[in-house]
Amino acid sequence: MQPIMIQLKGIHKTYFGAQPLHVLKGIDLNIAEGELVSIMGASGSGKSTLLNILGILDDYDEGEYHLAGTLIKNLSETRAADYRNRLIGFIFQSFNLIGFKTAVENVELPLFYQGVGRRKRHQMAMEELEKMGLTDWASHYPNEMSGGQRQRVAIARALATRPKIILADEPTGALDSKTGVEVMQLLQKLNREEKITMIIVTHDPGVASKTNRIIRIKDGVIEE
Amino acid sequence: MKVDIDSFHELLQTLMRNKTRSFLTGFGVFWGVFMLIGLIGGGDGMKEMLNSNFEGFATNSAIIFGQPTTKPFHGFRKGRIWSLTAGDIERLRQQVPQLDVISPMVSKWGVQAVNGDHKFNCSIKGLLPDYAKVDAPKIYYGRFINEMDIAQQRKVCVLGKKVYKTLFPGGGDPCGQLVRLDSAYYSVIGVDYAGGNMNINGSAEEGVCVPLSLMQRAFNMGDHIDLIAVTGRRGITMSDITSQIREVIARAHDIDPTDEKAVTVFNTEVLFGLLDNLYHGVDLLIWLVGIGTLLAGAIGVSNIMMVTVKERTTEIGIRRAIGATPRTILTQIISESILLTSVAGMSGILFAVLILQMMELGFTEDGIVTAHFQVDFWIAIGAAALLAALGVLAGLAPAARAMSIKPVDAMRED
Repeated sequence: MQPIMIQLKGIHKTYFGAQPLHVLKGIDLNIAEGELVSIMGASGSGKSTLLNILGILDDYDEGEYHLAGTLIKNLSETRAADYRNRLIGFIFQSFNLIGFKTAVENVELPLFYQGVGRRKRHQMAMEELEKMGLTDWASHYPNEMSGGQRQRVAIARALATRPKIILADEPTGALDSKTGVEVMQLLQKLNREEKITMIIVTHDPGVASKTNRIIRIKDGVIEE
Repeated sequence: MKVDIDSFHELLQTLMRNKTRSFLTGFGVFWGVFMLIGLIGGGDGMKEMLNSNFEGFATNSAIIFGQPTTKPFHGFRKGRIWSLTAGDIERLRQQVPQLDVISPMVSKWGVQAVNGDHKFNCSIKGLLPDYAKVDAPKIYYGRFINEMDIAQQRKVCVLGKKVYKTLFPGGGDPCGQLVRLDSAYYSVIGVDYAGGNMNINGSAEEGVCVPLSLMQRAFNMGDHIDLIAVTGRRGITMSDITSQIREVIARAHDIDPTDEKAVTVFNTEVLFGLLDNLYHGVDLLIWLVGIGTLLAGAIGVSNIMMVTVKERTTEIGIRRAIGATPRTILTQIISESILLTSVAGMSGILFAVLILQMMELGFTEDGIVTAHFQVDFWIAIGAAALLAALGVLAGLAPAARAMSIKPVDAMRED
């Protein structure tokens, strides 16, 4: 058994609006290093909230979350930003590239925030793009690229800082089935060859079936 | 956050993304600074121009002249015509010791000055040398009338600027040459370039000055005097001794000492006091309008930045998700604001300075600057500092909003 990368213990999360909404009702979950996991669930099941907590984008009310041995709880915004930058790579359904920056500039951005020097980060970004087969597209803007290319730029950006885990939110949701399959194959390859822990949130059974383990969420609890 | 070329590149990129908007927003600040600097410079120039009207004029002075009486006195009816005489000068000197200079003047209008075939219709003033202490001449060539001219009753004259330019169109030093005034020839001893508009008995530019004694004789004036210019000693307030002056003169001429019209004492001090108030009022207005316009520009920047931040919610969310700290975002938004305000503001300063320089050039004659419109170097520096401060202030509210954007918001678009 590989060492544990993510450890959730009794995570509770309630959104306090006009009507308090108890979204996560005690989540216990362990994910080992190098695992390729998918999280499935109907909309409103709490899977997005779980992903936000895993990605340190949102806080939780009760329980404990250890990421790579560090307790992630009540962090200041600055600390959270630092952990996100160093430990986690994000891949979004709608790519979330910055439209007025070229592919390589987008990939450089997390390195820029990490304080990597200009020349160095350009070189690192180019290496990542090369792995994605996008060397020729480095100086193109996102709107000049196809959905698949954009998602590969986003993957390159997520990988640029060499994170411990990759969190992907519906990575194939905005792509046609053929491109979706290609992107999934790419993610599988990365998981296999670079041993990156990967968590994919999806409601597509086809995508989920490509992962080693499927976690189903229903009404804020896990039913594996 | 590392500061390198790319940080700056980022700023430019975001500002250039919406050129028209950045330009229009910047224009508000540009116009504000332009107004402020332009008004300060223009105000100073105007003030100087206004002051040049009183150029060389002693501030603590008064002019005394006679007009028909308005009150009956000692059996005389009102409306009697009288005039000052040479005796009044001695009387004032003895009975009003607070006076410093007491200088009489006679004048004649419509005299033709002729040099060859150049003619000019001028006024002649008969003066004593100490008149220069009341209304200082700006001698360009030669000298002013001196004691020897008076004592020897020399037939000499000092030409006003316009008279000189007309009679000697070729320029050059006219001293020693003869000029005919009506029927007699006078030797030119100097040229007076004083251009103030506050003149006694006609503009100095269009006048010719000759020694008083000579004039009284040449034009058969007896000891009649048109007016007396006086200055107060140091520490004396003119308005305090006005009635004393009037009384001394009135008594000698059988005039009611309370007849302010008959013995008119025109006090320049009151005029200067009035001007001072005017200047203060204008200054206040300039700063109010200038700062107000600038502030409106800065608020415009703040407003637009607010819209921009709202528009960029997704982008800022993404940045936060991939590791931008709130501080990074704060720095970025405030830097954008500072860059926008200072670039626009600097162009405003530059443009204003350019316009002021052009105005100053327009008011330069014969290499002499008549009005300084250009602002002080330190005012420009101060304006630049003010702009930077305004940039920070304008960026604060939008930056606060940008910082409150949670990375989660970026993913909430679908």
